[in-house]
Amino acid sequence: MDTIKRGYVQEHYAPMPTKTTRFWRNFVPWQMVRFVILNLRILKIVVKGHS
Amino acid sequence: MTRIVVLGAGIAGHTASAFLRKWLNKKHEVVVVSPSRYYQWIPSNIWVGAGKMSVDQVRFDVARRYERWGIVFYQALCLSVHPEGNEKTEKGFVTIEYTEEGKKGEKREIWYDFLINATGPKLNFEATQGLGPEHFTASVCSYNHAEDAWNKLQRCFEKMKSGQKQTFIVGTGHALATCQGAGFEYILNIDHEIRQRGLRHMAEIKWISNEYELGDFGMGGAFIKKGGYITSTKIFTESFFIERDIAWIKRAGVYKVEQNKIYYENLLGEFHEEYFDFAMLIPAFSGHGIKAFDKQNKDITPSLFAPNNLMKVDADYTVKPYEAWSINDWPSTYQSPAYPNIFAPGIAFAPPHAISKPMKSKNGTDIFPAPPRTGMPSGVMGKIVAQNIAEWIKTGKPTLKHTASMGKMGAACIISAGYGWFNGNSATMTVSPIVPDWEKYPLWGRSLSNTLGEPGLAGHWLKVFMHYLFLHKAKGYPFWYLLPE
Repeated sequence: MDTIKRGYVQEHYAPMPTKTTRFWRNFVPWQMVRFVILNLRILKIVVKGHS
Repeated sequence: MTRIVVLGAGIAGHTASAFLRKWLNKKHEVVVVSPSRYYQWIPSNIWVGAGKMSVDQVRFDVARRYERWGIVFYQALCLSVHPEGNEKTEKGFVTIEYTEEGKKGEKREIWYDFLINATGPKLNFEATQGLGPEHFTASVCSYNHAEDAWNKLQRCFEKMKSGQKQTFIVGTGHALATCQGAGFEYILNIDHEIRQRGLRHMAEIKWISNEYELGDFGMGGAFIKKGGYITSTKIFTESFFIERDIAWIKRAGVYKVEQNKIYYENLLGEFHEEYFDFAMLIPAFSGHGIKAFDKQNKDITPSLFAPNNLMKVDADYTVKPYEAWSINDWPSTYQSPAYPNIFAPGIAFAPPHAISKPMKSKNGTDIFPAPPRTGMPSGVMGKIVAQNIAEWIKTGKPTLKHTASMGKMGAACIISAGYGWFNGNSATMTVSPIVPDWEKYPLWGRSLSNTLGEPGLAGHWLKVFMHYLFLHKAKGYPFWYLLPE
């Protein structure tokens, strides 16, 4: 059976999201909140960008 | 009567002409010259290339709309600019060549009082041997390229279904290419589409890029607050890849493509090859090669255009080392220093230098990303150019009080990573300012409160929302002018 020994390959040093992190990224009620927050943050940048 | 000629009907040109028509009295004339009669919302081309949208969902016939708005439209290419006129006229004029059926190849001259050069980039596939849809790789840089990419992808899906493993490579097709964001978005969409079909075990997916580190995106990367740390977009980007089992090759300058084979040199000066069944590589960008002539018909192209054919504007083009670069090098009004009635917003202006640190391979090859200037910044530049010209015409004074420097304005880039109301995904990124300001933000180069990177479904909704919002604006539907760029 093949075993994977982690490390010594560039890909093994990147952070892998856990199951919980992935759950929150697609959990609709939480993402609705994030949708509002992201809109507001982008709006702030847009407004600042117009002289 | 004042005539403003706008070259290009892309994000910068269309924004400028729409606002000029709105702000100026009908006695003034707004003229648009564009080789295509369609406006395309370029950020959604990715979805055409992933089979989620049709070509007609990302474009519309701008010529018909201009007719209704009172904008004169020529479906044509601009060949030359004559800012001083000629022996017959004192007024500046452009020479154009029609591209529309029936008049193709015919030439004419159009005089102007103000000229806006918003031609966008020439997709310089010729700079890399074998690159582009006419040769061995796909592209998503225009809607027809994206449609072709989707056709090629589907053929790979069929082969995987019949048991043949396929290798997909996405990234930059030239040592100095930019728009890594579009490539990043497309590779995530390819992965998503393959997973949706249950074929991921039949695919090898690889990223290839001229970035020193992933997440550079041609803007020197960014730092974001994440998980209790201030971390680099390198970590953010690599995480997307490792989660999806996508391998990556960085610091690579692709110099040749053959059938199923990509050749590249890396910063160590090594030469390598990569096998592929499907490759989507972003080409280098350049200007369109418009020539300029003075009153005596002498070629003055170098006084208006940089060697890459992009137009010189109010930037500081003094050659300086990376350490001496400043946000003050970047233009703010996009006015030509040679001829004050000429402006170049969007990708048509020549940047003073890169944003990413220049890197050379051991063989002396430059391998680093050119600066990105698409989407939101182009729209803002188009608008401020229109504001300044409209006020100049109304008051008779060239005050140019509206500015939009990439060293001051921020930008948002929403990278779709899968399509669907509930199983979509994305990487939402904002940076402010676009060009790092190391004097104002000595530790991180940018405002940490306005620079973010966030994966999640919400960003996908946002991208869909923006698709409809910006097409609403571009089509001039009710209250379009209230929507920001």
